[in-house]
Amino acid sequence: MASSAEPRQAASQRSAGNGPRRDTPITRIGRGLAYLWHDPVLASGLALGALLVVVAALGPLVWTASPFAIDVGSSLQPPSLTHPMGTDSVGRDLLARFDQGARISLATGAIVVVVSALIGGAIGITAGYLGGWLDILLMRMIDAILAFPPLVLAMAVTVGLGVGVTTSAIGIILTAVPFYARLLRSDVIRLKALPLIEATAALGATRTRIMLRHILPHLVSTLLIQAASVFGYAILSLAALGFVGLGAQVPTPEWGTMITNGLQYALTGQWWIALFPGLGLLLAVTATSQIADRGRDIFDPRSR
Amino acid sequence: MIRFMGVKLASGLAAIFGASILAFIFLRIVPGNPARLILGPLATQQAIDAQITTMGLREPIYAQYLNYMGGFLRGNWGFSYSAGQPVTTQVANRLPATVELALYAFLFAFIAAVVLAVLSTYRRRAIIDGTVRGLAIIGLSMPPFWFGILVLMLFFSYFGILPGPEGRLSPTTAAPDAVTHLYTVDALLHGQFATFLDAVWHLILPAITLGLAPFAFLVRLLRANLLDVSHEAFIVVVRSKGIGRLWAFARHALPNAFLPTLTAAGLILAQLLSGSVLVEKVFNWPGIGALVSDSIVRQDYAVVQAFILLSAFCFVVVNIIVDLLYHVIDPRVRVS
Repeated sequence: MASSAEPRQAASQRSAGNGPRRDTPITRIGRGLAYLWHDPVLASGLALGALLVVVAALGPLVWTASPFAIDVGSSLQPPSLTHPMGTDSVGRDLLARFDQGARISLATGAIVVVVSALIGGAIGITAGYLGGWLDILLMRMIDAILAFPPLVLAMAVTVGLGVGVTTSAIGIILTAVPFYARLLRSDVIRLKALPLIEATAALGATRTRIMLRHILPHLVSTLLIQAASVFGYAILSLAALGFVGLGAQVPTPEWGTMITNGLQYALTGQWWIALFPGLGLLLAVTATSQIADRGRDIFDPRSR
Repeated sequence: MIRFMGVKLASGLAAIFGASILAFIFLRIVPGNPARLILGPLATQQAIDAQITTMGLREPIYAQYLNYMGGFLRGNWGFSYSAGQPVTTQVANRLPATVELALYAFLFAFIAAVVLAVLSTYRRRAIIDGTVRGLAIIGLSMPPFWFGILVLMLFFSYFGILPGPEGRLSPTTAAPDAVTHLYTVDALLHGQFATFLDAVWHLILPAITLGLAPFAFLVRLLRANLLDVSHEAFIVVVRSKGIGRLWAFARHALPNAFLPTLTAAGLILAQLLSGSVLVEKVFNWPGIGALVSDSIVRQDYAVVQAFILLSAFCFVVVNIIVDLLYHVIDPRVRVS
């Protein structure tokens, strides 16, 4: 709720001269849509994102072909009415695999975003608010993670824990935690100096209560913007790990591994195997980075 | 100044130390049985026990860590059983190809970013600016390995104007005599123009593919910096002294806009390092990235481990150098 508070507030200030205005959920949605009309970048990002969510959620229900069924008789067929995205080298239907791949990518992205936000948020807020030796210890841990190029550390984790989607997700979470922790820590240090926090402490609020009830709400917009960028980073990294063979393993219809599979056929004329999963990736990441970009502009006018 | 350098060096060393512990945890402690990884699934229990002892895995954890890091620092990066040679030899053989590719990728990224950032900010045409911003978003969202396949399909398979994934030179071209091991430089040094052109011809697609992400990142940063700087008071002063718009932009705004991009050097190195693993595989480029991705497929993890630790070292060292350089170049940061 707090996420959309600022534009809404701006909108109600603008209409303040026209007398009181009813504020029902429907007028709120209407105003939101009216705002999107003037912001084509955000609108197209949201529309693209919604489209991919619909494809992931409903695709396998509408297009009921099995993503695993092998049919060697109809291998390497170009896109047609029976196989809108064609078939791969063992005759699996690529549209069904695309839909499943969308599920895997979006679900992994969502899990990575939430888990790394929880861990990174907790680290950032406690380090920033409590300070002292805890801050030093936590930030040195974050520095150790940041000493690696992110994708390389994710590779190290999957090599250590064993290949697969779950271990890849763990690796990506580990590399995404510093994004949140660093940012939130500096925000908290800035907030901590505000009179409102001092006043709350003077009223006898506990440290936990101050962190959760009085500091956290101020961080929601930062968290949301960061979540959007981490989401794009997560699905791109998952595909990259899948592409080099550390992510999803062979029959799993993950976009990155599907591209690896298409690599050897791309130059012999079977362009469709690698094309569609890459397109899905590109659209998903473009949508989230558009949302993140505009979100930053809207919530943080200084960055404009 | 001395104090500042000391702090930076100390924090860099702390980061390397932390990173090496992290790498040690994931690369040496967690993966089940390193002896079995080396000897393969068919080895007898006796052989594995012997291997565990020779590898020093019965010693306490801290001693194992010290042995491991000591070996790494002395250049003992393990033995690649799939290639039958030390990892150091392999890395040394593969390094020049990666360096050459990364160099040209960076050149492409930097030049393209400067040109487009200047175009989009000098005359504020909405169309140009919108296109550049769009390119930046797409470049950052693009999976590099997929982009590589796409340009290969387009320029090799369909148009047939650029070479396919056959490495650094055509099969019919002999490599120039090694001086720097960079084919373009060596060919020029020996005056072999045909070889030089062939090498450049083979570099175009991989370099653009690898440079795409750094390009997108740089063009965004430069564009934002240029817009910021052109609103600064000193630009107004320069203009009011009667200096033309172009000169004020080229001589006064541009150099100042370049400064903050220096801090991005570490990030660009990270993009090039992890990008090379993805891109070299697509183009059959005989570099370290392809070595790593091949080793992953063969489960020859000694190579992967060396790559991971090396990347961390390079990354931290570059970041320290950047911090120190920035301190020297931009006096403003010394105050804060």
